[in-house]
Amino acid sequence: MRLFFSGLRKLVRRPATWVTAGLLIGLLVLIIVAVGATANGRAVRANGAEAKLLVTFPGAYDRILQFITGLGGLFAVIYGAAIAGSEWSWGTLKSSVARGESRVRYMLITYVTVAVMIALGLLITFAAGVVAAIVGAHLAGVSTSGLGDSATLSDLPERLLKGWFAVVEEGALGFTIATLARSQLAGIGAGIAFYFGEGFASIFLPDIVKYLPFSVANASLATASSGATTDAFGGGASGLPADQALVLVGVWLVGALVLAALFSDRAEIAG
Amino acid sequence: MSGTTGLALATRGLRKNYGPRRALDGLDLSVPEGVVYGFLGPNGAGKTTTMRVLTGLIHADGGKVELLGKPFKRGDRRRLFEVGALVESPTFYPYLSARANLRELAASGAPVPSKRIEELLDLVGLCDRSNDKVQGFSMGMKQRLGIAGALLSDPKLLLLDEPANGLDPAGIVAMRDTLKALASQGKTVFVSSHLLAEIQVMADVVGIIAAGKLVREGPLKELLSMQGVVKARVRPNLVDAAIETLVPLAPTERLTETDRDEGWLAVHIAADRAEDVSQKLAGAGIYVSGLESGNDLEMLFLELTGGQTIDGEGTFIGLGGPGNGNVTSGKDTAA
Repeated sequence: MRLFFSGLRKLVRRPATWVTAGLLIGLLVLIIVAVGATANGRAVRANGAEAKLLVTFPGAYDRILQFITGLGGLFAVIYGAAIAGSEWSWGTLKSSVARGESRVRYMLITYVTVAVMIALGLLITFAAGVVAAIVGAHLAGVSTSGLGDSATLSDLPERLLKGWFAVVEEGALGFTIATLARSQLAGIGAGIAFYFGEGFASIFLPDIVKYLPFSVANASLATASSGATTDAFGGGASGLPADQALVLVGVWLVGALVLAALFSDRAEIAG
Repeated sequence: MSGTTGLALATRGLRKNYGPRRALDGLDLSVPEGVVYGFLGPNGAGKTTTMRVLTGLIHADGGKVELLGKPFKRGDRRRLFEVGALVESPTFYPYLSARANLRELAASGAPVPSKRIEELLDLVGLCDRSNDKVQGFSMGMKQRLGIAGALLSDPKLLLLDEPANGLDPAGIVAMRDTLKALASQGKTVFVSSHLLAEIQVMADVVGIIAAGKLVREGPLKELLSMQGVVKARVRPNLVDAAIETLVPLAPTERLTETDRDEGWLAVHIAADRAEDVSQKLAGAGIYVSGLESGNDLEMLFLELTGGQTIDGEGTFIGLGGPGNGNVTSGKDTAA
């Protein structure tokens, strides 16, 4: 537990934590408020009504969550890579190993703390998004009567949990890539490239890409109301049913962490 | 592992390759308990590789390591709970303060009482800056903090790689005093350093490594006494008589004339015996007009490492290679 609480203290004080969360919240709030403020003016255009859906409850809950898990997935990759990579780049893993700490325990507990921070970030961002949507609804002149929709609210914890699970899987990929690269910058760069590369490949190889980590993360969040999700490039990579995709999210998560742990255990630590 | 009783650290036949390059080639170290052990060698000799193996950062390809009387193998990480280490440059979270860095480091490995952190900040003189972020620290301050980190678990064996790096003169003196004090408390301090003069005033025992092998190991005083020299200047026509007079102090092969025209002769004995030389010659009616003495770890180092500079950047012409020196004491382990 010492290592767990130490990990949390380190992440809470780390500027990257607040920059990442701040960027995600800032973008979300900005977009929702901007949509709310301009929705009436755009009502004459074809997408005016569609834009209003972002600030119309109860559907807004789902759209806010989709935004968070979508862009948040990319941020999670970067964040996970930054945390793991810095342990190698700064040599702090070396200091702990030289004190007799288990490499596997150290790396896994470090990722558990990252997962906790992702959960906190998700909840805070979601709350900020709901507040922004209420403001946006007022600006757009849309009723907020759907805010307390009991069916949606009862479904919300499970949706948030699944969203967290998907983002944690994406963060684990960044974490593992940076561990393999033993570098913060290389890990972040490779993580971003992997994220967009998968999205790009889904245009040409949808049958293969639908099993890849970012695609299954998207697919695991699909609901009957939202329908099949699409990736960032509009590819049809999310053909898997949500339940099957959820299992694959777990497989990718465990696989990534096992790989990171094994590599850390075997690696020669120098520098 | 045989013959390791009373040793805080022992390696036998330690081997490590980096691809085709052999970094350690059967290294045998014997570090007694309660001493400051100076670990010397030119760049690329294998010092840092040895440190990494001893701290479990890398694994040897062969050979054995014993820490504090017990075998240290892959997976024996708990053996390191009684070992403190500063390997290469000190490493920290730059966005955390000095105190927070020590606290988070203490969360790994052996448990550390919280008051220990304050004691160590005081010991290394960082109390005033303990709440400052490490990213603003100078190299010397980071080094002090690194030493504090190595001492966190109050280790029985301390492994320090170039601990004087970046320290100002006052810091070096304080570090030296601290390490000596630790040794006097029965702890063992293993110091790798390129500062030969620093090792000469600090170490009780030295080991010299070259090309991955130990070429000399033994008590520093003993090694230096054999490396010592007293030079006396007498009248040129009295050089032969002077050498004959000094035979009781040193065997003939350790008495050499260095410049007959000027009347200089050299006696290869402990440097602190210059008075004996003067007294002996005076007793025989031979009066010296000049007397010099000294001993030098650097000379010994250069002889044993083939004249390589400590930075490994070249050779000093005329100093000879391994085995060319007259040093015969200590444990000569050169292959």
